[in-house]
Amino acid sequence: MKVAASIKNFLLSLAGFAAILLIWQLGVSFTSVGNLLPSPWAVAVRFVTMCTNTVGRKYTLPMHLLVSLRRVLIGFGLSAASGIVIGIAMGRSDLIRAIVRPLFELVRPIPGVAWIPMAIVWFGIGETAKIFIIFIGGFVNIVVNTFSGSRQVDENILNAAYMLGANKVQAFFKIVIPSCVPYIFSGLQVGLSTSWMAVLAAEMVSATEGVGWIITAGQQNADMPQILAGIIAIAVTGLALASLMRLLERVLCRWRVRGS
Amino acid sequence: MTMEKKKTVIEVRDVSKTFYNREGDHLVVDHLNFNVYENEFVVLFGPGQCGKTTVLNLIAGLELPTGGEVVVNGEKVVGPSPSRGMVYQTTNLFMWYNVMKNVEFGPCVRGVKKAERRKKAQYYIDLVGLTGFEKHFPVKLSGGMQQRVGIARAYCNEPDIICMDEPFGHLDAQTRYLMEEEVDRISASEKRTVVFVTNNAEEAIYLADRIILLHNCPTSVHREYLVNLPRPRNYVAPEFLELREQITKDMDDTIG
Repeated sequence: MKVAASIKNFLLSLAGFAAILLIWQLGVSFTSVGNLLPSPWAVAVRFVTMCTNTVGRKYTLPMHLLVSLRRVLIGFGLSAASGIVIGIAMGRSDLIRAIVRPLFELVRPIPGVAWIPMAIVWFGIGETAKIFIIFIGGFVNIVVNTFSGSRQVDENILNAAYMLGANKVQAFFKIVIPSCVPYIFSGLQVGLSTSWMAVLAAEMVSATEGVGWIITAGQQNADMPQILAGIIAIAVTGLALASLMRLLERVLCRWRVRGS
Repeated sequence: MTMEKKKTVIEVRDVSKTFYNREGDHLVVDHLNFNVYENEFVVLFGPGQCGKTTVLNLIAGLELPTGGEVVVNGEKVVGPSPSRGMVYQTTNLFMWYNVMKNVEFGPCVRGVKKAERRKKAQYYIDLVGLTGFEKHFPVKLSGGMQQRVGIARAYCNEPDIICMDEPFGHLDAQTRYLMEEEVDRISASEKRTVVFVTNNAEEAIYLADRIILLHNCPTSVHREYLVNLPRPRNYVAPEFLELREQITKDMDDTIG
């Protein structure tokens, strides 16, 4: 039953994709949409040539993706490390919360891309500026989620640990941190996708390589198949990153799963 | 009689507890006095919300009295201590640890070597009947099994006193009877001083050496009963039913 249902759902989702492609193809073939949009077939062909031939001076599409991914991993890694530490510190220490929280609440509504001009002034147009933008993109979500997780640690369970003889340090690492993990993961999940958006924004402003650059270069040459092929690469990579993160969460949060 | 010779483990001396909040002061425990002797199974019994749990928390050191003092083995209680174990109604298990790691938590944080604490934990896991479930996470266990983990976790730390706060309050009637038998069996094989809180007269008589009936809030001792029936006790024996009727009637008086 279960297998049959999942096969059915898979076929239905394929049907959805096929319908969109069909409407797209028909629109391009029989209406004036064709002047504004290349056909799906043309995009697919371009996607394949971009994978084999260089786009721009030296990189193929997969190489551009790797450049962008490298930036994301560094920026996101930094925001995860600092965001988790700051989130927990804010959650568990009244002093730090009193000092940091108002500052954080003020910075929080600023979209990451608003920092692009400042980043360029501070760091020039090199890698550092882009990594800074990505860092800001992920940081906020990770702090917010980690903070709310560390505020919701069950005091009765903490007391149970103290009753059994745990000291403050042991209680922190054995009780506070593990009970925050599910919250940290939802922060990392959102943070990773905003980091992935931020790298594109950073690359669209100033870069000579990366998937963001592919899109802006396509725009400058009025090369629509290149823009669309770039967008598809972005979508697939973003999906893959999110799935990887979910997999990691499933492994680390096994204890929350009820089923056999 | 025999009580005279027994060593006193817990002394509750003229203890009062007032909670202060915005609506005003709330006196929960009023000049409470009683002793608990070594290896005695004492049940604190009284109507719901009468302050029984507060008394238990005062003994555990999770709350401090606003008047009087609680003395355990000659030392005044000033906070939580591993020499006093606790079994909770809501289990308070560490959901991110499997059964083994929950049970060995106490010895682990107190620095007992791994091989030794594993052996000890295995002994208590076997004792509560969870052999084979060592690697399971609590979320996959039934309510009764989770409470067994909570009991094993408390015993494995080898405290002088075990406090149980309505541990079976959330369980269905069937599981409750089963767990009462289990606690009776465990406390017979592992001699410890136990303070057990309940509002169920049947449970109190089934388990207790001595029952302390508490007044409704503010709490003080209303009456004590020594239960001298042979164990394991029969819920429908005439003596059992007679005592149950007496206690239920006395409890109604504390409310009325």
